Amino acid sequence: MVSPILLIAVPLGLAFITPLLGLLWEKPTRYLPAAGMAFNLVVGLLLLPRVLQEPWVVRTAGFPPPFSIHLMAGPLGVALSLLIALVGLLVAIYAIGYVREGAVARYHTLYLLLLTGATGMVLTADLFNLFVFFEMLCISSYALVGYSGDRAGIESSAKYLIQGAVGSSLVLLGIGFVYGLFGTLSMADIARHVGSISPMKVFISVAFLVTGFGVEAAVLPLNAWLPDAHSSAPSSISAILSGIAIKAGVYAVARVVFTIYGAGTIPLLLLVVGVLTLLIGEMSAFSQNDIKRLLAYSSIGQIGLIVFGLGLASVSGVRGALFLVVSHALAKALLFLSVGYMIYRTGSTEISALHGMGRRMPVSSLCFTIGAFSLVGLPPFIGFPAKFTVIMAALEKADPGFTALAAIVLLGTVVEGAYFFRIVQALHFKAPPEGAASEQTEHGEAPVSALVPVCLLAALIVAVGVYPAVLTDYLGPAAMDLLDKAAYIHHILGV
Amino acid sequence: MSFVADYLHYTGCFGLVLIGLYIVLVKSNLIKIVIGINLIDTGVNLFLVSVGYIQMGTAPIFSEAQAAGREMVDPVPQALVLTAIVIGVSVAALALSVAVRLYEHYGTLDLSRVRELKW
Amino acid sequence: MKQALSLAVLLLLAVGLASALRGPSVGAEANRTALFDDQKVNFGRRYTSRAREETGAPNVVASVVVTYRGLDTLGEVAVLFIAATGLATLLHTGRQRVSGTAPEGASLIVFTGCRFIFPLILLFGAYIFVHGHLTPGGGFQGGAIVASGFLLVYLGCRDREPSRRRLNALESLSGLAFVVIGLIGLAAGGSFLLDFLPKGSLYALFSAGIIPLVYVFIGFKVGSELGGILGDLSGARR
Repeated sequence: MVSPILLIAVPLGLAFITPLLGLLWEKPTRYLPAAGMAFNLVVGLLLLPRVLQEPWVVRTAGFPPPFSIHLMAGPLGVALSLLIALVGLLVAIYAIGYVREGAVARYHTLYLLLLTGATGMVLTADLFNLFVFFEMLCISSYALVGYSGDRAGIESSAKYLIQGAVGSSLVLLGIGFVYGLFGTLSMADIARHVGSISPMKVFISVAFLVTGFGVEAAVLPLNAWLPDAHSSAPSSISAILSGIAIKAGVYAVARVVFTIYGAGTIPLLLLVVGVLTLLIGEMSAFSQNDIKRLLAYSSIGQIGLIVFGLGLASVSGVRGALFLVVSHALAKALLFLSVGYMIYRTGSTEISALHGMGRRMPVSSLCFTIGAFSLVGLPPFIGFPAKFTVIMAALEKADPGFTALAAIVLLGTVVEGAYFFRIVQALHFKAPPEGAASEQTEHGEAPVSALVPVCLLAALIVAVGVYPAVLTDYLGPAAMDLLDKAAYIHHILGV
Repeated sequence: MSFVADYLHYTGCFGLVLIGLYIVLVKSNLIKIVIGINLIDTGVNLFLVSVGYIQMGTAPIFSEAQAAGREMVDPVPQALVLTAIVIGVSVAALALSVAVRLYEHYGTLDLSRVRELKW
Repeated sequence: MKQALSLAVLLLLAVGLASALRGPSVGAEANRTALFDDQKVNFGRRYTSRAREETGAPNVVASVVVTYRGLDTLGEVAVLFIAATGLATLLHTGRQRVSGTAPEGASLIVFTGCRFIFPLILLFGAYIFVHGHLTPGGGFQGGAIVASGFLLVYLGCRDREPSRRRLNALESLSGLAFVVIGLIGLAAGGSFLLDFLPKGSLYALFSAGIIPLVYVFIGFKVGSELGGILGDLSGARR
């Protein structure tokens, strides 16, 4: 029987098998993460039609909720697990050829555990379980950021680790408050009783939880770790961190704010924080000369936009935010992966080293261009309907404040367009720097193991951009899964 | 003063957390920061366990409670703290390995002098 | 400057917490905690009253850790695994051979004492985690004691250290066994980590379903894992 728990248990089991295999024979370990994520993809696709009709509440240990840990495999959970599996699979295929130095078996173990943590986070319905899977995600990312062992990697890993550890302690403090106030850890149960506790105490617990999860979600002012971490990590890890890990942090914040506490005044805070994050992220990206740092700051900006969409607290706003989650995950992964081999070939991360790449590595440059245009929000790529939905949701509110915020969002998009066009122009229309041809270790395009995922991502971006209905049918129920507190409580507890 | 006396256990927990937070914010030696993170974790774990305390309660094991005839304290925070302690140890171990490599690369553990990555 | 600012922020935090947490003083009922008024769902009471029948273990915390919140324990075991793997990665990747003076060998008394005490420590640790469902203790505590035995070996009788490859293999196999137990529960009863072994009689060693089995595996895993971490940090070869 295909139970949603397999989405967590099987990759976890494979992660334990990987070092065992590595002790015997290291070469096949490269294929295990791809196998695990392929399994997750298949199981997720099998589950999706069923959970759209009726969310599946999975018990563990046979005891009824709220007295045991349970998973809530609803449209949101399964859809996000599918996204994690898809992006995880493609980046794993890329890593088969990309990760060649160091303890390769350990890289793949950590990678698989990172994705297991993210999948567990989106499926669980228990607050402390959310924290445990969140820690799985965070700690594997601390280790993977420093994987290459060079100066930048270790420094970034140190700073990321310190900030992340403090954030996790804040989450635990919040959980302590929640348990003391409510006496239960099941999110549905907490949601049921939240009205009967004094608002000040509720506010303290929300503050700790949101701040703690917000460190991983990279909202302002907690995102000081992100530019260093995402730029110093190996490119496949940058892709996963920007594409999946920070989204998981945003999911945790959204789950806490919407499902446990219900929309109150907190979404207004999310609105303001989102717009500020967007502005600062895009402005900082504009003046960067290092391509990976630029992409990292762009991730901060996009997270600001997603949080803005969530802060609108309406069905169309949350739908837009979820659409953006998918669009940004695909596009940012594509950008980091295509840039990965360019950096490897030229040995430099400066944008000036990328001049003329359009002729030397045509396929990678084309896919990079597709990713860049999608992120800016041009049709016919997926970024366009995603941003459009968010902006329409802001305008729907018919309030001058929201309209002003929507105008600021558009301003951010213009800045984003400026710096991405500059890079695309450099790729295709500028002459390569002198001496570049002799510096290159190998000529020509990236290997097949890298091109397959990159082209698949580009194809998906175009396909969903042209037929957005393929995705939007699932976004509505997923948004309701997040927003509709009463339905959530009803499905889990039956009241 | 009576506030401290009434809420002594909570004062202790939050005192530890605030001291740890001060160390993480102010100190620049990586080992001291790791100690600060451990202090924060210790304070938070102490807070979790004290939330489950019931006055005059006894340990949640059946032979003892039967003998004493008293109520048991809440076992759930103890299980949570078990997990939290292990997670804290994991983070500390990873931080120390980062410290070892950092010292090899830079020759110092002072984070204020490790600023190669510019804005 | 940084100090003054931090002190100000922390003082603000402390005052805010204190004023907000000031709730009613200890009320009429003596068994309520002073700060938090009411436990809406009496979570703890439900576990302490029913754990004995439902799981067969006298140690209620063991029931909670393995049975009621088993998925948390699985995640925690995975987190420790991540830390051990990450530590090994960070310490060994891209590192030039660290040259330094070899550590001074231990004296004869320390050397002999360590060789003698190490199995006793292992035995004590095993006792703790095998009896986890009966006495306070369990997999993690027993594993930590086993790891302290390894620390003694690394400090006192270095040439008797266990093979790292075997420790790694043991670690991975124990973790895999925990996941497999959960999957057997899924296949047998429809719930992951379902208690599928008989509960036996209370206070017996072989009772309480899967709890002692899971604790044995956790004990092996944590012991070998922490021992590996200590070995990596003290400079053992891969």
